[in-house]
Amino acid sequence: MPFESKSEAGYTIVSIDETRLDASISELFRVYLFDQIDNGSNNLVVDLSLVRFMDSSGLGALVAALKKMGGEGKLKLAGAQPAVLDLFNLTSMDKLFTIIPSVAEAIEEK
Amino acid sequence: MTAEQGQTVRLEIDSELANTTLIAMAVRGLCAMTTLSPVEVNRVELCVVEIVNNAIEHAYGYEKGHKVEVGVGLQKSTLHLTISDWGKPMDEGKLGAGDSPVDPVDPDDPAAWLCSGRGLTIVQSLMDKVEYQIDGDKNSFIMSKQIRS
Repeated sequence: MPFESKSEAGYTIVSIDETRLDASISELFRVYLFDQIDNGSNNLVVDLSLVRFMDSSGLGALVAALKKMGGEGKLKLAGAQPAVLDLFNLTSMDKLFTIIPSVAEAIEEK
Repeated sequence: MTAEQGQTVRLEIDSELANTTLIAMAVRGLCAMTTLSPVEVNRVELCVVEIVNNAIEHAYGYEKGHKVEVGVGLQKSTLHLTISDWGKPMDEGKLGAGDSPVDPVDPDDPAAWLCSGRGLTIVQSLMDKVEYQIDGDKNSFIMSKQIRS
């Protein structure tokens, strides 16, 4: 599975070991995030630093996770690369998510 | 109006989502022959991926063993992309529905946050022209992007 998680400073850090978060893995990713939330992780940081390309299905998985959290806890995105940031800006999803340059800063930011 | 001379290439994959990357990488390489900026190349890649995924998901219902064809036409001032399938045609009303720019999102209304169905809207907002043609059993999504000379 191209996803891993670890706990750090009260956050669950989800990392993606893929350069493309696209329709071939987005459903798997959504299920993985839902499992994290169902298992009690309500402060999530998704490390996007390796992801060079994301399509609308990858974005949809993140939106689904944010909806599932229902306003409880936090879901932060860290390390988004230019093409990924562009997708968030194009779709106005940058208004929904807290996007932070790095995992370290996401943990420090309150 | 005189037709611009250009070069064309035709790519073909089997209808499997993992194969979309092959098309994406090939189109990126072809875009490198143009004056498109890195941001524009990323956006062209995104559009191609969205439409190829649509063909696999909606025309073929995720069923493998069907053909998705991508034609790339490079002219002096225009990049043409044609994505064709031989499956279930798209509801042409969908294309018109996405004419408007990407809708603003209301952070205070989670019920309205879309988890899917953004692909066509993104494509329509990024490409200069899009159209959908049905010719017998062949369905083609045609899009083009102006290139600086």
